[in-house]
Amino acid sequence: MTEGVVYDLGYRPHEGERLGRPGAVRALYRDGLRRVLGLRRRARAKALPWGLLAIAMIPAIFFVGITVFTREIGAEDVSFFSHAQYFDLTGTIALLFIAAATGELLVPDRVHGVLQVYASRPLTISDYLTGRAAALAAVVFSFMYFPHLVLFFGRAWTSSDGFGSYVAANAEALWQTALSSLVYFVALAPLAFLFAAYSKRLTLGAGAFIGVMALSTPVANALVEVGFDPAGLLALQQHPVVVKDWILGVRSAHLVPQQAGFDPWVSLAAIVVMAMLTAGLVMRRYRRPV
Amino acid sequence: MTEWIVAARGLGFSYGSIVALHDVNLDVPAGCIGLVGANGAGKTTLLKLLLGILRPGTGSVWALGRSIPAEALAVRSRVGYMPESACLPPDQTAADFLGYAAELAGLPTQAARQRASDILSLVGLHEERFRHMGGFSTGMLQRAKLAQAIVHDPDLVLLDEPTAGLDPEGREEMLGLIGRLESFGINSIVSSHVLTDIERVCRWVVMLDGGRVLRSGPLTEISATGEVAIEVLDDPAPLAAALTAAGAEVEVKGNTVVVRRAPGDPFDLVRDALATTGTALRRLGSRRTTLEDVFLQGAGDD
Repeated sequence: MTEGVVYDLGYRPHEGERLGRPGAVRALYRDGLRRVLGLRRRARAKALPWGLLAIAMIPAIFFVGITVFTREIGAEDVSFFSHAQYFDLTGTIALLFIAAATGELLVPDRVHGVLQVYASRPLTISDYLTGRAAALAAVVFSFMYFPHLVLFFGRAWTSSDGFGSYVAANAEALWQTALSSLVYFVALAPLAFLFAAYSKRLTLGAGAFIGVMALSTPVANALVEVGFDPAGLLALQQHPVVVKDWILGVRSAHLVPQQAGFDPWVSLAAIVVMAMLTAGLVMRRYRRPV
Repeated sequence: MTEWIVAARGLGFSYGSIVALHDVNLDVPAGCIGLVGANGAGKTTLLKLLLGILRPGTGSVWALGRSIPAEALAVRSRVGYMPESACLPPDQTAADFLGYAAELAGLPTQAARQRASDILSLVGLHEERFRHMGGFSTGMLQRAKLAQAIVHDPDLVLLDEPTAGLDPEGREEMLGLIGRLESFGINSIVSSHVLTDIERVCRWVVMLDGGRVLRSGPLTEISATGEVAIEVLDDPAPLAAALTAAGAEVEVKGNTVVVRRAPGDPFDLVRDALATTGTALRRLGSRRTTLEDVFLQGAGDD
């Protein structure tokens, strides 16, 4: 049976410009964005990222709505949560999002042999991983920061002091939340990439990453409680929380690294070292010929 | 002057203790080139060395005048590769993936989309361009693989077993497409263990056996035997006798007389013998052997 018809429309060579390696990296980045958000894919691929994004946004939108409503009926101003508390919610959602997104970025390329196509293009392994990581960083940063912007400008809009006065008085929250969002990405994404780099199935890599992150805190806590303080460094999920509280000027003595006696800068150093170590391992994994 | 698209000097590569290529010396001209050999002969390894995916263990290799792996990125922007194994994402449409594949080679987005559409038409997938490739048949997947290899208008395309898994009709169509590449200005190296495919489309052949180059040259030279075949309408015996009397070594097969060896130009000898005996001629020409015979003979000698 004939499966298609070869139309002889002639062949037109490409005589325009070629963007070379930078163009290839940009293409990788754009494809990464589409993969992470499930764009140009079946509806099933869109459900998780957009669902999680909606869950992250709902509290901010709900807060703004309630505040507008209470002002309309003349009630007192309400304040549900601070930026620091909001991070505790979005941080958990970001963990799930990153777990799914890193798998989506790396696993299908490897499992379906698409790496062979990349290997035949003007790209290095670093270009490939940088393009993928940049796409994830852009989405995760937006994912974490955008709800804070809604919360911030919602508060400014509903502030009894007026929009301009609120923004002027609280402007530091804008860079603090931006920096904290970046810290969450650096703390979570490299390890998730590592699991995705070694996993043959999306769910296995994501599940292993979430499992390690979830277990790290109780294990570290138990070891610290029996007097082994260095184990405070193993509380992987709490390091970004410590650093975020540090940036936002919030005291958080209940966290394991602090119970173990570590200053916030130690948590920041742990995040950076962990990121560099895992990035190195991911690079090593991809150095094998396809 | 011959323009070499690929050259190698003392090229060697090993996978641990297994030698895949040993002391390969090659000069490959432009056009459609056949790379033949049994499974494990080193064909895919040579293609991966040409792409810079593997680094030579010994020796040097060049493609399109550039040294590999030193200038691998520059080479890859003008080379396409169709791997033997699967390389297409099942959850993407053919149009999306081809546009992306063209962008990965450096084409601007708009040009990439246009090229994707053009090339899908060229390989007969225009009507399937918005289907997810996970639902494609083997024949459609092979065409999509070829399409991604040429979508960025390369100067050279490396095709690794392009007819693998295809039914006879699909094989014919694929060979037809490969045969047209040269007219598009695209040189090709077609790796295959199916020698008849190579005979169909290639004009230069590189034979590999056990990681070594068995033969490399124009197909016409490789398949030429130096013998002359004369098919006659009458009894071939008088002609054979005349040729033998003139000092030729002949063999009679049915209505055909094969001149294996002759003093001087065998065609002059045949002309004279035909005139002397008055034998009616049906066909006269150089006798050619198949690539398979050449390969088996070469592998046997080795």
